[in-house]
Amino acid sequence: MLEHAPDLAAAFARLERSLLRRRWAAIEPVLRFEIAALVAFLCASLFWRMRLRLGSIAFAHGPWAAAADGALALAGGALCGARHALRLAPGSPAPPWLALPIPPVEIHRHLARTSQPLALWAAAPAVAILAAGVGIVPGVALLAFAGGFGIVLDRAARLGCAAAFGLALLRTEPHPGCDATTRVLAVAARPVRAARSGAARWRGDGAFAAFLRKDALLARRPGAARGRLVPPLVFGALSVLVWTAPIAPGAVSTVALALTLMAAAGVAGWIVALAASDPFPVVRSLPLGPGVVWGTRVTWAALGAVTLAAGQALGADLSPAPSATAPVAGTALVALAIGVLGANYAITLFPRADHAERILGIALAISITASLMIYYLGWALLLAALLHSARRLPRWARSEAA
Amino acid sequence: MTLRIQGLTYRYGALFALDGVALDVKPGEIVGLLGPNGAGKSTLLRMVAGLQPPDAGTVHVDDVDLWRDPIAAKRRLGFASEHPEFYEELSAEQYLAFLAAVRGLDPQAAAGRARELFASLGLAGRTDEPVRGFSNGMRKKLSFLAAILHRPRLLLCDEALEGFDAPAALYARETLRALAAGGAAVLFSSHVTEAVERLCDRVVVLHRGRVVRTLARAEWGVPSPGLTTLERAFLELIGVPAAEVPA
Repeated sequence: MLEHAPDLAAAFARLERSLLRRRWAAIEPVLRFEIAALVAFLCASLFWRMRLRLGSIAFAHGPWAAAADGALALAGGALCGARHALRLAPGSPAPPWLALPIPPVEIHRHLARTSQPLALWAAAPAVAILAAGVGIVPGVALLAFAGGFGIVLDRAARLGCAAAFGLALLRTEPHPGCDATTRVLAVAARPVRAARSGAARWRGDGAFAAFLRKDALLARRPGAARGRLVPPLVFGALSVLVWTAPIAPGAVSTVALALTLMAAAGVAGWIVALAASDPFPVVRSLPLGPGVVWGTRVTWAALGAVTLAAGQALGADLSPAPSATAPVAGTALVALAIGVLGANYAITLFPRADHAERILGIALAISITASLMIYYLGWALLLAALLHSARRLPRWARSEAA
Repeated sequence: MTLRIQGLTYRYGALFALDGVALDVKPGEIVGLLGPNGAGKSTLLRMVAGLQPPDAGTVHVDDVDLWRDPIAAKRRLGFASEHPEFYEELSAEQYLAFLAAVRGLDPQAAAGRARELFASLGLAGRTDEPVRGFSNGMRKKLSFLAAILHRPRLLLCDEALEGFDAPAALYARETLRALAAGGAAVLFSSHVTEAVERLCDRVVVLHRGRVVRTLARAEWGVPSPGLTTLERAFLELIGVPAAEVPA
């Protein structure tokens, strides 16, 4: 029995505060530090660029800073709009809002309010730009810019959400007695039927081939494994194309090697993503040892290494410099080592792909740093990481999900 | 003995999830596992399926020690999980083709059996869609189907039939009986006492991680044979003649 009218505003405010706390708690402390470091690095870089620009041109060129901040506010608004559009898209995961005895407009307001904080990502670089103007642009103007930025950011975020709502409304059909917000929320709650795939291939060529085929299928279907294939493909292509760029012959091989190593790290990341797609109860209840799983993942690492090395050989051929040569064998070996390291971590830390990815990143970062200090030390560390991770492979059958 | 569990113990910190559980399942026998929430049923089945090593105790499948020779033991078992997980981007048929190849099944025979099971469980027509779009009931059906595709010697069902529609549940029960008649051992966990009562030859009651009682079928009597009135009415309404459905 309803005893009093519900205070919707207070209920939604409590919900929004809880959601914010839960999202913050879901970010691990290390990840918070990493994000903060990245943002600080970006802001510092922006600060110096703007400082130089403002300093090099005449006094009172505050409009530069104002324009940059205005652009950032609009970018923040666009970010909110994109987020809100995703939330209103069909098949979005959400509670059954329309089953609640609440006016749909209140529900949409709540959704928009929880989409809008995304615009705050634009605030950090905006502060860096304004800080760059201290001592160059008059203080009053900077204060006015700061206030103006806040207002523009707020308006841009609201505009972004309104635009997303308008786009979502276009997907609905008019229905007598059904207002626009209800129609939009009803479409958002509708499940999406996934696209059909071709007929399955039933083959009796064993577990190894089945695993390879399954990995190849996952790389083609929309999902995390396909998404993680993009960085190695992009860096791999760049590592070939860089040979044709107008760079000093001495530097081009170094840049190409750096790009190849990034592509190899991307291949290792993709291998970790493949392991992440393996459902623990399925893989562990199958009559499989670590050999099959490791073998298939190392096959992908080897294929990646050979492709990257072949790309370097092709790049050197395409180079306008007549004496250009690429260290093909060395490239293949290093790329293979990085890929196998990814496979080892993915298997020994299964099903914790997030841990595997983090440890892989740390191992590669330490190797690169060591390489910059003493050239062969990095390779020695990479080899040590490879051997250490390989020692844990036989324990695969006993490791557990916890 | 197809399944022999001895002294199985597992602790979550200070809490005993399983405390010296001992249990046998003979060939051709369907044993029910009953217990309240948190009794340790799912933990027990996960350990027997080889997903989680115990702190103490052994699991033998056809006299093969699961944790000493896991591959040989896992060849003999099928596991239908309470919360099934899949390769979400693969279609149901692609997923089963993968499992059949990994288990070394004859591809033609496995494809034929999969088609027959898809049709019987009401999944025909959806087999080329990615699993990610499946409803909860469809996911449970696919998990059950994957667990029985290779006709295992030991089938572990962790609330596997909950979420099935009536015709599929009836078909699944009949399939379990047929598997048992062919010599397989079935360990069937469920919250639904009616399903256990109708299906099982023996019931093991688990409470706070311990086996507190084992009941033989004679102790709870023979349930009424055939379909209930409601089941019969429902099947007629959805156009499935009751005569075609196994009791």
